[in-house]
Amino acid sequence: MNLLKISLFVVLIYFLALFQSSFLVHFNIFGFVPNIIFIIAVLWNIVENPKSYFGFFVSGISGFVLDVFSSHTIGFYIIILLLISLAIKTLFSRYVRVPFNQNI
Amino acid sequence: MAKSTKKGRIFIAVFIIIAVIIAANFFQKNIKSFFYSFSQPIQKNLWAAGKSSSDFFASIFNAGNLKKENDNLNFKNQELLANISRLEELQKENENLKCALGVNLQNDFKVNMAQIVGKDISQDFILLDKGAKDGISKAMPVITAQKVLVGKISDVYDNFSKVLLISSKESSFDAQIREREVSGIIRGKGNLKIFFDLIPQDKEISAGDIVVSSSLAGFFPSDLLVGRITSVKRNNVEAFQQAELNTEFDINQLANLFIITGRQ
Repeated sequence: MNLLKISLFVVLIYFLALFQSSFLVHFNIFGFVPNIIFIIAVLWNIVENPKSYFGFFVSGISGFVLDVFSSHTIGFYIIILLLISLAIKTLFSRYVRVPFNQNI
Repeated sequence: MAKSTKKGRIFIAVFIIIAVIIAANFFQKNIKSFFYSFSQPIQKNLWAAGKSSSDFFASIFNAGNLKKENDNLNFKNQELLANISRLEELQKENENLKCALGVNLQNDFKVNMAQIVGKDISQDFILLDKGAKDGISKAMPVITAQKVLVGKISDVYDNFSKVLLISSKESSFDAQIREREVSGIIRGKGNLKIFFDLIPQDKEISAGDIVVSSSLAGFFPSDLLVGRITSVKRNNVEAFQQAELNTEFDINQLANLFIITGRQ
């Protein structure tokens, strides 16, 4: 795994968390604010090659950042996102073959 | 053999993740405080930018309603001016009575001003830039400059504190409608909504009634503005009636809040 890729990703997620908790909260849709970090983590796991482990790292970091900037205890989003990653990867590697995620 | 090695690796990975999460929870306050400390300048600017951007977009989307809103505000303004003159008379009368009775009641609070730096998008929590170092402690009430109740401090860090909004599902406290002498419990519904519960069936309440806090259970000082009733749910089968409320504060319009640290 490229160290630069990891560092860039961590910085990006951190700034997205700040953006989400301080800027995006002013723009709700019917009272709800989209959790963009959660969406990004899930989408990453969907489009990534099911054999790659980077998706777990994405989920772990995203979960940690979400936990820090939310009122939940640390681990709440980490566990949820890691389980989602596991479910997606299991589904895509065993049962579903899609052309777009084989080379990413 | 290879399969058992893979299983072993997965087991070790799961074990490490769980251990890290448990360890992180022991230092949760320090970790969160650390992140909030160096994020604060960015968060403050983002909050201000978000507020002004949402005001700008709201003004575009609501341009059609501006005239109607202006008429309503003019009407309300006249009503309020009439009320002010009536209240000024009452204040004079009150002061005269206090002098006559030798009572010197001061209902003002000791407050600490704080700025909002963030909000939890999934729950009704906000983050303020004042913490234990500024004398803030758990359960202190948080109000606006107009004495509108916003919530109470739920977590305190060195330089930050989290506020559980009155609209949070975890929030409930005593409240009353002064003019009708009706008491009940305000419960949060989440998503910035609240309702007034446990109102006896024989009490008459209606939309527009103003609900204020009550100091009965000691959660909040009395007479802090909570909200205005929008609809009443009355069912003869149930022992109590309920009412939906609108909070008097708009989270998007808030910038500075006041934490009540004690009485004057």
